[in-house]
Amino acid sequence: MNLDVFFLQQVLNGLSVGLVYALVAIGFTLIFGVLNVVNFAHGEVYMLGAFAGLVLLTTLGPPLLAAVLLVLAVGAFLGFGLERIAFRPFRRFRDEASLKSKAVREATLLSSLAVSIVVRELTEKFLGADMQVVPERFRLQEPILLEDLGVTGPLSELVIIDGQLWILGAAVVMFAALQWVLHRTDIGLSIRAVAANPLGAQFVGINANRVVIATFAIGSAMGAVAGLLIGLYTADIQPHMGFAPGVKAFVAMVMGGLSSIPGAVICAILLGVSEAVATEFIAQGWSDIIAYAALLLVLLFFPQGLFGGGRERV
Amino acid sequence: MLDRRSLLLASAVLPGAALAQSRPVTLGYMLPLTGEFSQYGIRFRQSATLALEAFNAARRIPVPVQILYEDTRSDAREATSVAQKFSDNAEIVGVLGDFSSSASMAAAQVFARAQLPQLSQTASHPDFVGISRFQFRNITTQAYEGPFVARWAAGNGVKRVAVICIQNDWGQSVAQGFNTAFQAGGGEITSTEFFNPGNREFRSILTKIQRERPDAVYLGMFYEDGAAVLQQRRQLAMRMPFYATSSLYEPRLIELAGAPAAEGLFLATSFMPTNPDPRVQAFVTEHTRRFNMEPNSFSAQAFDAVNIMLEAIARAAPDVTRARLRDELAATRDFPGVTGATTFDPQTREPSKTLARMQVRDGRFTAL
Repeated sequence: MNLDVFFLQQVLNGLSVGLVYALVAIGFTLIFGVLNVVNFAHGEVYMLGAFAGLVLLTTLGPPLLAAVLLVLAVGAFLGFGLERIAFRPFRRFRDEASLKSKAVREATLLSSLAVSIVVRELTEKFLGADMQVVPERFRLQEPILLEDLGVTGPLSELVIIDGQLWILGAAVVMFAALQWVLHRTDIGLSIRAVAANPLGAQFVGINANRVVIATFAIGSAMGAVAGLLIGLYTADIQPHMGFAPGVKAFVAMVMGGLSSIPGAVICAILLGVSEAVATEFIAQGWSDIIAYAALLLVLLFFPQGLFGGGRERV
Repeated sequence: MLDRRSLLLASAVLPGAALAQSRPVTLGYMLPLTGEFSQYGIRFRQSATLALEAFNAARRIPVPVQILYEDTRSDAREATSVAQKFSDNAEIVGVLGDFSSSASMAAAQVFARAQLPQLSQTASHPDFVGISRFQFRNITTQAYEGPFVARWAAGNGVKRVAVICIQNDWGQSVAQGFNTAFQAGGGEITSTEFFNPGNREFRSILTKIQRERPDAVYLGMFYEDGAAVLQQRRQLAMRMPFYATSSLYEPRLIELAGAPAAEGLFLATSFMPTNPDPRVQAFVTEHTRRFNMEPNSFSAQAFDAVNIMLEAIARAAPDVTRARLRDELAATRDFPGVTGATTFDPQTREPSKTLARMQVRDGRFTAL
């Protein structure tokens, strides 16, 4: 192994990949943590967020921060709609047996998968399967040499991209905001209650429907913003863009213990770095093996995930 | 030509013959019309529509020719079942497609058994035409293009090259075609990196290559992947020249990558819309008028493939059978198309074509 500037650049590349996974994983894990079902349509919310943001930027040309806020609203709306179509119909039975039933959970797993396929195919049908052209002025692709930031010594040759800073910023803000909502607000308290014990929460008078809708709105808003920022960073906005990061976010969530958001974020970053560093030793085409091998090892030795098993969900 | 009365007479005497005469000649076209490769399949269908309409309007043979399109998503499993469907349809005398080498080769196994001639516009894996004597293609293989680019790069003083290819049958053939020729010419391949289809994060590969300090990088991938590589090489300030396969020749490449990122890219091609040849100009004008988009090299490959097939049908007429169509395809010589003159080797069924050199200069593809 060469511990030179290229290796450090590789670690930096990996950190940025990991942050991309983490940004997707936050909303994904929130929804899983509350409902205990995988929302397969999260990748499509991510994709539609990117498309909506691109349309917004190219037609109205607002500053990026304003576009992010608008896409946040679009994502919340999408989450609301998604919950209505794919999840609500399976929650109409309120008796204890249905609430505990595995079959109902599996049904929503499939209904969200169905929504995801329909949305992706429709987008492809009407907007085309090829990559959308992201005008250069909206891209988050400008390289920044660390030297220009005043770094001296061997690290000065390293390159970061402005999009990576946006993604880092978004991940930190989302993570912090989510922790604040969950632990400092009433709706957060309700979300944690439903996550911990849906039936018990209803017994003490929490409106579980409202909580589920709020969870979807928050999780999807985060997914949509992730799609926009990552889309502008990679300039890769097309109907299939949600699939690959969605799979990695899922792996990170499982490794992190399924319902732990901090766990998912840490595992996402670990995955990104190990994939990039692995490229130093094996062909990049094989680097997915690292992600899945890590997943297998974690499940073998820590069946609860690295950060699961605590009493608190979400 | 038979007039109406003699046709009636003929149908009374020889019902089978008359029926055969009035029925259209049918071709199958297997292509990705949905899924992530649908942009290619849609272009193939546009080109086929143009070629077919012109052929039928010219009344070269007394009956019309029709094409049945079937969507395979360019997926090997779906291609196999579509190939079976085409083979079972006795009306179909010839098949065009599929898009990717993997799907075309899966289908070829079925067509070989059914003895149904298959002509792919794009399947450039070396083994494709070797599957049986019923496989043809209208694209030069990487065994031809690779050495062409290798000689070109060596002529520019390049001695050490790093290669990045997509991880599929075609990508493997790109690496093999280029690497063998470049090493035979005394050059050194510093590394060959394969990436998974769908991956658009190339920084880790590029960083690895930077350490090797090659004189040039050779890319074997589709243009959307190429756009991502070109953006990221600019971010990492890689200043060595980049060469690429002809698959990166697509006007949108420069738009997708951004002009500063694409600047300087070298690639070979068999089709240029700016070619003053009247055939090319007629094709570009008609395509742009009908579909409101300029044809790219994939459009041109498909246009020529369909015309080669139609030409073979015209030669085989009036008795167009699968076996006769195969023999006429194999006899294709100096077919004047928009991708240059095409000749099929009667034995190997490999096409020979001429390749041109291009470079992205000032944000445009420029012939060298």
